[in-house]
Amino acid sequence: MRWKPSVNNLPLKLMNDKNDFADDDLVAALRDLRPRPVPAPVIAALAQELDAPAASRGNIIAWFTGVTTAAAMVVVAFHLASPSPDTPDFQLVRAEQGPTNLELLQPVRLDDGSFARPLRMHWENTTHWEDRRTQAHFINYRPVEQVALIPLETY
Amino acid sequence: MSDAHAHQDWRAWFAENGARLRLIARQWTRSEADADDVIQEAFVRFWKHQRHLPGDPNALVVTSIRRAALDLLRKTDRRALREQSVYADSEMTTWFEPEEDPRKQALLDTLPTLPAEQREVVVLKIWGELTFEQIGAQLAISPNTAASRWRYAMEALRKQLTAKTYE
Repeated sequence: MRWKPSVNNLPLKLMNDKNDFADDDLVAALRDLRPRPVPAPVIAALAQELDAPAASRGNIIAWFTGVTTAAAMVVVAFHLASPSPDTPDFQLVRAEQGPTNLELLQPVRLDDGSFARPLRMHWENTTHWEDRRTQAHFINYRPVEQVALIPLETY
Repeated sequence: MSDAHAHQDWRAWFAENGARLRLIARQWTRSEADADDVIQEAFVRFWKHQRHLPGDPNALVVTSIRRAALDLLRKTDRRALREQSVYADSEMTTWFEPEEDPRKQALLDTLPTLPAEQREVVVLKIWGELTFEQIGAQLAISPNTAASRWRYAMEALRKQLTAKTYE
């Protein structure tokens, strides 16, 4: 017979009922216990973490914009100031991007079971400055490589 | 427990599950303050990065809690561990709301008398809503061992409650 809860009989019934119901009743009684709720400061801290991303990102963007503006003003002031005879006076000569090399690699199988063909792209960016006064050249050469995946349809 | 995959509002989900998750965190921490720190770190990590992962979100959040708790334990020194282990046991009764029903209060008083390893399984089974297999995975024990600890715990609870009746 299934145990019926009453004020004074729980332990005795549990002792006497050596069947599956006893465990069920005990489990049901355990489930009825109520864990203490999470304190309000913890919920407030969670709110700060989980509700704030957009706001904090906004703050970072605003901060970054301010710093960028300040940096730009410093650069402009630096350019406006006439260079002393000892400082180099580089002028941009050329800035170019070389032809792109495409390399199609063997198709691969992705984690989700679909297939894709990796594509490797390679090109070079070159920027060239010259100080006409000292005939000094400054060339910045930057090879760039990117890999992309082209999805393949399989039937 | 409602599915965390479907929920968009963390407040609603946490209002439903926060108390039991905190109870689970309390199993692996030395004080309520530590449990609060753990639940905060674990839940933020779960909600931001893990709740959309495949698998049982309930097991994922428990894993997140256990990892955060173990990290916290590693950070603290052994002396604190010794000092607070006694304190932790004395705090046990504050894990639950007090009960007016004497039967429930008797059960509540009996839970702290269980060995920690059995109590851990009971909490993960009842309030963690995990299977023995999942409990085994959490605690790095076999499902059979988890089930065995559960049976011992049920038997011990029954005996203790019986003894209380005769007191």
